[in-house]
This record gives sequence, C-alpha cells and structure tokens, in this order.
Amino acid sequence: MADPDRHPFLQGLSKHRGAPPTVVVIFGASGDLTARKLIPAIYNLSFDNLLPADFHLVGYGRKPIPDEEFRGIASKAIKDFSRRELDDKAWGKVAANTTYVSGGYDEKAGFDRLADHIKDIEKKAGSEVQSMFYISTPPSVFFPIIENLGASGLGGRYLGKPHHSKVIIEKPFGKDLDSARALNVELRSVFEEHQVYRIDHYLGKETVQDLLVQRFANSIFEPIWNRNYIDSVQITVAEDQGVGTRAGYYEQSGCLRDMIQNHTTQLLALTAMEAPGSFDAEALRDEKVKVLKAVDPIGLGPDADMARAQYAPGMIGGKAVPGYLQEAGISPTSSTETFAAIRLSINNWRWQGVPFYLRSGKRLPRRVSEIAIQFKRPPGTIFAQKDGFNLAANTLSFQIQPDEGLSLILNAKVPGLDTRTQPVKMSFRYATTFGSNTPEAYERLVLDAMIGDGTLFIRGDEAEESWKLYTPVLKYWESQGRQGVESYVAGSWGPEASDKLLTSRGHVWRQP
Amino acid sequence: MSGIFEALPGIDVPVGSISKGLAQMWEGNASEGKPSPGGENAKAIQVNFVLHLGLNTDSADAVTQFDTAVRFSRRYPCRVVVLCPRKSDDGPTDMRAKVYGECTVGKTKDDTRCCEFVMLSYPRAVRANLEHQVSICLSTDIPLYYWAHRFSDTAKLADYKYLLTSAKRVLIDSATAPAGAFDFHWPKPENVRDLAYARLLPVRQGIGQFLSRYPAKAIAENLKSVELGHGAEVAAEARVLLAWVNDRLASCGAPKGIGTLAAPATAKPRSFSLKFAYTDGKVFSWEADLASGQSTFDADFGSGKTSMPASVALLQPENALSEAMFF
Repeated sequence: MADPDRHPFLQGLSKHRGAPPTVVVIFGASGDLTARKLIPAIYNLSFDNLLPADFHLVGYGRKPIPDEEFRGIASKAIKDFSRRELDDKAWGKVAANTTYVSGGYDEKAGFDRLADHIKDIEKKAGSEVQSMFYISTPPSVFFPIIENLGASGLGGRYLGKPHHSKVIIEKPFGKDLDSARALNVELRSVFEEHQVYRIDHYLGKETVQDLLVQRFANSIFEPIWNRNYIDSVQITVAEDQGVGTRAGYYEQSGCLRDMIQNHTTQLLALTAMEAPGSFDAEALRDEKVKVLKAVDPIGLGPDADMARAQYAPGMIGGKAVPGYLQEAGISPTSSTETFAAIRLSINNWRWQGVPFYLRSGKRLPRRVSEIAIQFKRPPGTIFAQKDGFNLAANTLSFQIQPDEGLSLILNAKVPGLDTRTQPVKMSFRYATTFGSNTPEAYERLVLDAMIGDGTLFIRGDEAEESWKLYTPVLKYWESQGRQGVESYVAGSWGPEASDKLLTSRGHVWRQP
Repeated sequence: MSGIFEALPGIDVPVGSISKGLAQMWEGNASEGKPSPGGENAKAIQVNFVLHLGLNTDSADAVTQFDTAVRFSRRYPCRVVVLCPRKSDDGPTDMRAKVYGECTVGKTKDDTRCCEFVMLSYPRAVRANLEHQVSICLSTDIPLYYWAHRFSDTAKLADYKYLLTSAKRVLIDSATAPAGAFDFHWPKPENVRDLAYARLLPVRQGIGQFLSRYPAKAIAENLKSVELGHGAEVAAEARVLLAWVNDRLASCGAPKGIGTLAAPATAKPRSFSLKFAYTDGKVFSWEADLASGQSTFDADFGSGKTSMPASVALLQPENALSEAMFF
C-alpha cells in the first residue's frame, strides 16, 4: 500500500531500504562498544546493501587519530568481532567515507570542527545529509557532549525535516530517578524527544521482537494471557561471567542498575503490556509505559519483594573462580549486588494476583535469558498427582539467548497399557529454522534510528517509570550497607533469599 | 533419453514410497557420516516449494535452478517438489521419483538445517492428475510457493490450477517466460510475482535513495523525456525497471508512460543507462555496469551539480526468490 508520507521513489521499498544520506558520528570512537558492536553493525549493514550510497562514518574522540589509522582500527574490529568475514568490497564502500575528528567532549571548538567537517561532507555529496550522533561513552561525559551538540548547532540541523539530527544514547540512562530526570531535561534542552534514541540492545534481538509476534499474531495465546490462566511469570537474565575488567563501573552500578532496571524490565513490559493499537512507535511505547505505571511499589520491609547477593568463590565450567570481594578492583567491604531478584505485582485487570519474578546475576551456572510463562494446572480430577501422575504445569518459555526460540511444556501419555503421564517439550528454534546467522541487535537498531523508527528504543518517560520503580529499592539498600547482602556460590542459581521469594508463594525458580 | 530428471541429483525411489525413501536416504547419509537431521527438529520444514521445470528447460538449466533452490533452502528449510514434465508422451506412461536431501551445519550444534527434495518425472498426459501426488509430497499446514520456470505456453499452466490457487505466491520470470505471460488469466493475479522485478531490488533501492533527496515536484516538473538504455542480457530487467520508473515518475506528477526503452546497446551486455531530459536545464542521469558493479549518478535539480558513484548489482537468484516469496 502506498504511504503518502514517503517520497514517490521510495514507495514500494521496505522502509529499511530508504535510509537518507547519513553521517554517523561516534563519540567514544576508540571504545570497546564501538569495536565490538557498532563498527561490525555498520559493516554488516553495508554488506547487506542497507546503507545509503552517501553514507559517512566519523569517529570523534579526545585522542588524535589520523583517518587512515581509524580506518585500520575499524577494519580490525570487523575482523575480530563481525559475524561475517571482512569483505573488501562491502567494507571498502564505508572505508572510503570514514574519517576522524579529534576534540574534547567539553571543547566547543572541537564540535565546531565537527560541524565544519559535516558541512564539507554535504558539499561533496551535493545534498543535505542527516547527522546521527552515537554517544558511546561513559555517562560522565553525556552532559558536555549533549551541551556541545546544542551549542554548535549540530543537534538542531534540519529540524522539521525527516533527515533532522538524531542522537543515539547508550545506557545507563541515569543511576536513579533524579539523575534519569536530569538526563532527560538535558537531552530535551537540545533535542526534541523524537530525535532521541535510547538504546537497549535487548529490544533489537529477534526473539524479543518475536515475543510481540507470538503474543499478538497468534490467536491461541491472547485469550489465555491473563490472571485467569497464568499462574506466574519468571524472567531470567543470567550471566556466567564475573565482573571481569569492569570492576570500576560495576562497583558503582550493581546488578539492579546494570540489568534489572533496563533489559529485564523491558522484557517484563513486553510480556505484560496490552496490545498496542498499531505497531507504531508511540503506540507501543505508550503501552509499555502504562504497564510500568501499573506495577505496585516493591515491598522493602518484612516479606520483602527483593533479594540481593554477591557471588562467593565457586566453580564455573569446571574451573575455580574467585568471589566478588576477591576480584581485582573490588573493595573487600563492597555492598554492591551481583545478583538481584525481584517479585513484582501488576495492579491491573489483566494481571492482578499474578506474580512476576525477575532475576539477574553474574556467575550463575550459564549465560541464558528467558521469559517463562507458567500456566495454572488443570483441575486434578482425572490425572491427580496423588494417583501417581507426573504432571507438569504448562510452561511457555521464550529463550532470548542463546539458542533463541520458544518451547512449550505439555503433558503426554507414556506409551503402554497403563496410563502414565510425562511432561514433553515442544520446541521451535530459530537456528534450525532460519539459521543462526541472523542480524545482530545493533544492526537492526542502528538502521532503525537512521530511518527514524523509534519503535525499538526507550522513550524518556519509560526510562523514568522504570527508575521510579527501582529507586526506592536502591535507596533502601544504600541505607542498609552490607546488611542483608547474601552470598551465593559462583556457579549456583543464586542465594536462598531469592528462592524464598518464590517458595513463599508456592513457586520455585526454573533452572533454564 | 537423457532429460532434466536424469540430470538432477538424487536417489531413485518408487513413487508409492517417497516417505520411506526419504527416511532411508537420511539413514544412509547418517551412516556415511554426512550431516543429517538428528530428529524432526533439524528438518524444521517451514516452506513448501514447488519448482516446476517447464518444457523449455534444458538439462544444464535444470541443474542451475535446482542449485538455486538448494541455496534458498539452506536459508529457509523447505520441502521442495521439483516437477519434471517429459517432453514427449511417447515413452513410458508411469511416473518416476527421486529424493534428495542435504543438511547445512551452521555456527552451532543446534544450527543444522535440512531440506528435502522430491523430484517427479511424468509424461505430459498425466499433468492434470498430478495434484494428489504433489499434495502427499508436501508438508501439511505450511505455506506453499510455486515457481514456474521456462514454461512453454502460459495457457498450459491452467492444468496446474491447484498450484496456482493454493500457492501463496506464484513466481515467474519475465526474462524467460513466454511473451504475454502476465496477461494470462491468473486465478489469483495478486499472488503472481516477477523474479526480474525482485532481482532489481538493489537497483530500485539505489535509484530511489538517490532521487528521494530531491523534491518530487522538482523531479517531475518540466520533464521532457526519459530514456532507459540497456545491454542485451538485461532486456527483461530493463522492461521491468522502465515500468517502475514510469510509475514512480507518475507519482511525482510526471505524465504517465513518459519513459521509453532505447535499443539494446551491444558494448556492455549487462548495463543500464537512465536519462531524464528537462526543458529547464535540470539534469539526471544514471549509468550502471553490472559486470563491474559500478554505477554513477549525475544530477542537478537546481541546487548544484552532483556526481556520485555507487555500487550496483542484481539480487542473487536465491535472494530474489526469497524477496519475491516473502516480501
């Protein structure tokens, strides 16, 4: 169907094939994220012919780096981290238009040089070029970058036109509600909300998007997606890695800020939200905000709705690993949690009485992210447990990573003369159906921002709602110091307090 | 007589035991240490795909199209039924079948995708009775796609009405289809796709992205003529591209059907040249050489002259199939 808002020469083409001439400026160009994710994402977009012919990549950073050297760094990043091998033709197109501008993040003159550089690119291109600023830096320099994008006029380029400036910002979007609000105020002093793309790479994952398709494109799920049929929901985002080289960052952050407030809560919102009126960015984000607003405050006192812990020495993959307090760069008296579990209640018509259990942690037995919907058991009149029937609760689990896919646990009859039952698993795996070489989340998200589609990005009010939920917990934990910080053996599924959150409601954690 | 059926790989099986033949083939592959589905999961058949090798297909072309279907099925695991009509009804009247399967091992243990091919050879006389034999070769409850390749006469496709009506998409290629194929009374014309149009996706994208930098009005105003030149090997693609350019220009406000096709150039058999002529000095031209993969846009719509090189290519055949089938 023709879209009257699109240029006639783009109609009939997928929106992802209509990116305008674009210059992507990466702040933090020599950083880890740039090498591991951004450059490979841009390369793979070029490989798939999804970048506009007039595409330019500009690195910006404090360290002076000649253009040629920056191209070499980028090329090495592709070799090291891309899902595809380096193809000279695909990379050559980008490399020819890859340059570097050096300057401080708090140095207005540097941003003026950047503005001149972009004007030169436009001059050569002979047309207006969209600027997309990717802030891939530590949060400590978010504010000066945003301010200087405003002061240099870069933030407001072509406002009112589709190819207006855009800014992509990486988490953390604040460290509590106040700082999240301050960041939003700062962003809105330079940019309009529709120019801002807050990235949570989980939303770019195929399986996370598939969750929406499964929920809203299959009529079998929606009628039972409520308190009448669902017993509980478990969302797990587990890592087997320890704190590694990120001790400095992690000490200030902790699990709740690093994982629960963003990735895990995004999964919660997508699982629990109402059906949006359309797949339009605002409609979807409105629904996510609505469901976050419906979450009851987290109980802090007796029968608290949360647990926190640090990993103690243990074994991962058959190898002994140190505890958190023994890791390099960690204070021996640290109270930073490496594991958090939260029990949430959503106070709306659909979900009242259904507990949502969220957990995340480091040094858990394996790296896995999943959403598990546990359904209520059928009335046990025919196949009662007491009569020896082995019945499992029907469970629909979405595996976000690794082995992306979904499975459904059903009860089946064991072949034989006697009627005996056994839970069986029905699975769909992305890799066996579509292959595992699917686009990385960053490829999708960078392209979405380039074409101005904010559906898979977090809106400012959404970030604030999430912080509103967790800030009281953070404050409470800060007030308690080390009191209440449990420990769990590295390689286990978390502390006893986490188990109690569920057992007190008649549930147990899955071991995915 | 050596025909297209004989040219295709696979193991001969009785037509009445195709399922058993497939199972034995996988067992054989496994015993030889070749990748094979460990269980139903690995087959993960999501698409039924009927490749109909029409009477104008020769043996070499049959193998080429078969290989395209194999490459496609590595990305989208499918059950492929290859229809191989015999050119003459003089030979045996019975049908013959072959099975072929292969598994692709990807990055991880779980990333093993397998596809299954069933080749059916039949005399033309039985073509109207193929429906049930084809239906039992297909996987139940999943979508069907039908690719009619190098058929000799569009009217004869009426004998395959069950495929034309039950397929989600019917794929033909205007580069090889008989003249007037698109004028055929297709039972569901909205499902018919031209592979030549699909192949042009990167070209349409390149031109679209470049011209979308300029206001539609500036592109259409004072447009005197449009000419699309092309090499001899891309005549079908040129016809399709011209139709698209004319359609897009009309949406910009230009007179309908303003563009014309120039006689094929012989110098570069796989090339295009598109030129818009204006009465007010505006300029747009695009020269593309598919052999070298290079193209150049030159434009001046009043804001200064622009010259921009860009890569150019047609979609690979297996990607053109997925583009035409799913998008």
